[in-house]
Amino acid sequence: MTDQNEQHGEQGHHGEAHHVNYRKIYITLVVLLAISVIGPHFGIVWVTLITAFGIAVVKANLVVQNFMHLRWEKRIMKWMLATSLVLMALLFAGVSPDVMEHTGTRWVNDAALAATARGIEAPHHEGEAAAEEAEPAGTEAPAVAEAPQEFDAKGAFTTVCATCHGPMGHGDGPGSAALNPKPANFSDPAFWEGKTDAELIKAIREGGASVGKSALMPAWGGLYDEAKAQALLTYIKTFKP
Amino acid sequence: MQKPIATTRSATGIPTGRLAIWWVLASEVVIFGGLLASYVMHRIGHPEWANAAAVTNTWIGATNTFVLLSSSFTAVLAHQAAENGDGKQAAKYLMMTMGGACLFLIIKSFEWYHEIIEGYTITANGFWSFYYTAAGLHAAHVIAGAIIMGFIAKDAAKGRELQRVEYIGIYWHFVDVVWIFLFPLLYIAK
Repeated sequence: MTDQNEQHGEQGHHGEAHHVNYRKIYITLVVLLAISVIGPHFGIVWVTLITAFGIAVVKANLVVQNFMHLRWEKRIMKWMLATSLVLMALLFAGVSPDVMEHTGTRWVNDAALAATARGIEAPHHEGEAAAEEAEPAGTEAPAVAEAPQEFDAKGAFTTVCATCHGPMGHGDGPGSAALNPKPANFSDPAFWEGKTDAELIKAIREGGASVGKSALMPAWGGLYDEAKAQALLTYIKTFKP
Repeated sequence: MQKPIATTRSATGIPTGRLAIWWVLASEVVIFGGLLASYVMHRIGHPEWANAAAVTNTWIGATNTFVLLSSSFTAVLAHQAAENGDGKQAAKYLMMTMGGACLFLIIKSFEWYHEIIEGYTITANGFWSFYYTAAGLHAAHVIAGAIIMGFIAKDAAKGRELQRVEYIGIYWHFVDVVWIFLFPLLYIAK
């Protein structure tokens, strides 16, 4: 037993206790926590980011240096941990450009684009929407149901279709570079020749291959029902010469 | 009883046990770091996740941050007591740290229960996948740390293996540091 205690003494950080006021560090950490909670209440984005992440870095540093005693640790330990952080930064630098953007010069991430366009409803929003739908259901349900509820065709075109078809429908969106055959040019009279609405809606909902066109045109039926596809088509027709 | 060689050796000038715990943490930095870095890049690519992030309860997150910071404080006090050779006191502080771990897990269960019954499950969408994976991996570390701490406290109360009090402390502070980053990522940046 005494042997162990002696060993512990020798094995401690250079055999001496650290003169750290742990209580003071702890109180500082709690005060910083309070600031990070108050931060978002100002409603200013950069203030929130600083109070959230800036303070997180300060807090983590206080814990690592004083509680984990990294300050007194040998330099090799610091290099070891720094190596791990560099690996993490490399992962971020290497992967993030393809994840943060949904289109590149030679590629388009259809699934991510669709997910972003679909959005995610918060629960209370869902509740409100359900309540709104439920209320008129008894009285004037058919009229409400038929109206495509505030579907923003232009917005949908800009976020989803314009990636390849271009913001003005010229078939020159950022995603078009990678595609062969090129996306349809809606301002070209030749495109509209002999095409029925039903055929175009089918192409939007079931993909280009369903109407004998390029399979590179994805199926958007999961995102746009018949009415929404019709609204999109109406908007696309504004590009018609 | 013959002691394992690692307990008494310090070939690098750092006690081998402490070197080992730092190695564990260096690999943990890559595990948690990779997960959190992936979350950040997806969060930036999916502005619509803000709707999901708005659902998380900042006050529950803040309370749990306070609980973990406090448990880190008692863990470092345990280390201080062990350095002074007071195993009984060290064990007492370790038990308090374990209490903090339990409180953290109780609050987390309460939080998850309410989120899950409202339909925010791990499969709800990308945000919730990250939310449960990151906080779940962290909670697994809290559970593992608390269990190991129990064994160390039992020995420390008898004045045995006091150097381990510091090692479990270093691990515990790391678990605290991970939460320090999870808190703003999942609760504050709405």
